[in-house]
Amino acid sequence: MILRIFLSLIIVVGIVTSVKGQSSFFRMSITHMVGNDTMQRETNYYTPTGEPFTISRFRYFLSNFALLTADDKYISLAPTYFLIDESKPASKIIELPDIPSGKYKGVRFLLGVDSIKNVSGPQSGALAVESGMFWSWNSGYIMAQVEGHSPLIQSPTREFVFHVGGYKVKDQILKYISLTFPENLELSGKQNVTLQMTADLNKWFLPDTIRFQQQPVIMAPSYQAKRIAANYQHMFQIIGIQK
Amino acid sequence: MKYKATYIVAGFCLLIVLVQGAIVQQKPMPVQLIFPAHFPPPVYDFKHNPLTRQGIALGRFMFYDFRLSKDSTVSCGFCHQQFAAFGHFDHALAHGVAGGQGIRSVPTLFNLIWQKEFMWDGGVNHLDIQPLTPLTDRNEMASDLPDLLTKMRSDTQYRRMFKEAYGSDSITSERMFKAFSQFVATMISANAKYDSVMLHKADFTAEEAAGYKIYQKKCAACHKEPLFTDFSYRSNGLPYLEALNDVGRMKITGSTDDNLRFKVPSLRNVLKSAPYMHDGRFFDIFQVFDFYDHGIKVTATTDPLVKDGLSLNAQEKRQLYFFLNTLTDDSFIKNEGLSEILIN
Ligand code: HEC
Ligand code: HEC
Repeated sequence: MILRIFLSLIIVVGIVTSVKGQSSFFRMSITHMVGNDTMQRETNYYTPTGEPFTISRFRYFLSNFALLTADDKYISLAPTYFLIDESKPASKIIELPDIPSGKYKGVRFLLGVDSIKNVSGPQSGALAVESGMFWSWNSGYIMAQVEGHSPLIQSPTREFVFHVGGYKVKDQILKYISLTFPENLELSGKQNVTLQMTADLNKWFLPDTIRFQQQPVIMAPSYQAKRIAANYQHMFQIIGIQK
Repeated sequence: MKYKATYIVAGFCLLIVLVQGAIVQQKPMPVQLIFPAHFPPPVYDFKHNPLTRQGIALGRFMFYDFRLSKDSTVSCGFCHQQFAAFGHFDHALAHGVAGGQGIRSVPTLFNLIWQKEFMWDGGVNHLDIQPLTPLTDRNEMASDLPDLLTKMRSDTQYRRMFKEAYGSDSITSERMFKAFSQFVATMISANAKYDSVMLHKADFTAEEAAGYKIYQKKCAACHKEPLFTDFSYRSNGLPYLEALNDVGRMKITGSTDDNLRFKVPSLRNVLKSAPYMHDGRFFDIFQVFDFYDHGIKVTATTDPLVKDGLSLNAQEKRQLYFFLNTLTDDSFIKNEGLSEILIN
């Protein structure tokens, strides 16, 4: 009797896993860069306009993933939110399971947290507010942040703090990022795919030139935040796909 | 004989198991709030945070737990005092751990489930996210949230209370914040003499009735019935104070049109909640009347309704006072379900 229950249990588990096994597993592995160099905290870098700086913190949210099919349709993936943190290596590998079979030519995602989650009270997981990525005095997520120091900054601490956020129409900085694969990606059955990507912090400073002296502290939805977001939407690049 | 003993022991064990099972399996008990008949439907969505007896109890416990602050000296209830309708008696500006002082007065807390935005400037967009500010503000409770969660997770009583409220003892910020909401949602003040009059269970005295007329004519457009606020942001002509440099709603929207606008506060329980205004500058309701009568400073954003002042003579002030007195809800201020619980 017990044996029979045990056996049927194995069969049920087997069926469930094999059904799940019909879908592919998509991984995005992100390497942070500053220009041509791999990012390291507390290391000297220069912005594209030649301003020296170091980085102490670099974090941002990614969400709302979708794949672009070969016939130009977006397939939305299950809603998940990721907080990518330079200081946490595991956070730089994004795992998206249950990808349906198909022919894909690109990926799209949101740099930030969609507006509905900004107005729905406290969340758990990556969106839990104890990350410090939520403004308490003016509710809303900090979508992306970089903090560091530059000798060019006049304040005693020489610190710069770019906290970029804003979900309301007037201050909207949410950016959809669309990236095209180097070649079409055909997924069938159960495959494991890793997309190698870079995110280049130096893209934050151009084409709309951001200088440290101008406004070293940005901590609210604002015109300055919008300028940075318009720049940083170009920071991602695909450098390879591994099957 | 031997068997009999075994049966008794076995039966006893079974009993223990059953009793324990009953205790462990005690499910969170749903609570249905009764909304006042003369109020509009609340705006708070209980679907995402269904009230339970255990959830409310957890929220109340946390509300009065000073250990949630950095140096274990300040609780929510330290600033929000029940006898002052959960405002703060006597202090103009809020003060928190280590004497840190903010730039605003402690607002009253009641009927929050009819409110969409919180704080004097409406900067907080959800009741459930509201505790984040006092818990972490260095002038209030000054806690580091990850540290606080660690502290609570190592506390057996909190683990037990979270388990009772949510079915498992996982302590997350989302659960914690929602439990605060469960408790503050029960702070409903709708049982003052004014309410009895509206429900035809009592009558105003002649002075109260005269005061009600004055209120309707001069105050009701902003301090709208039945909640005694229309929840809009307005400048009532309160002179700007350089020392505090509080621009109000403009801080949130960045729009100069919102300079010096603040959320219209409710007048319910107003005689219990001195001092008045966003910076607590008036200690007496008659100072407020005098301000509306002749203290208004007109700026670009001053509300047209008060631009010319709201003239009030001595008799009108007295009548208005008697009317405002009918907004004091003793059953709320003395509600034992909301009162402080001692935590050692
Ligand atoms: C140091 C004193 C202090 C403490 C402690 C405190 N508060 Fe407050 N509370 C205030 C002040 C001051 C405001 C208004 C702040 C503003 O407008 O910027 C406020 C606003 C609020 C509001 C919004 C009311 C409205 O009508 O907009 C709520 C709700 C609230 N507090 C609940 C709490 C809870 C829950 C706690 C405990 C976690 C707490 N408070 C702890 C001082 C305090
Ligand atoms: C134009 C709209 C408007 C009108 C009309 C108005 N008020 Fe106000 N009232 C406000 C606003 C806005 C505030 C908050 C101002 C601040 O704190 O800066 C306020 C604050 C108050 C407060 C302080 C309450 C607290 O909790 O601190 C009292 C009391 C008050 N008003 C009474 C009255 C009375 C009495 C009248 C009629 C004689 C009146 N108001 C007319 C908009 C108005």
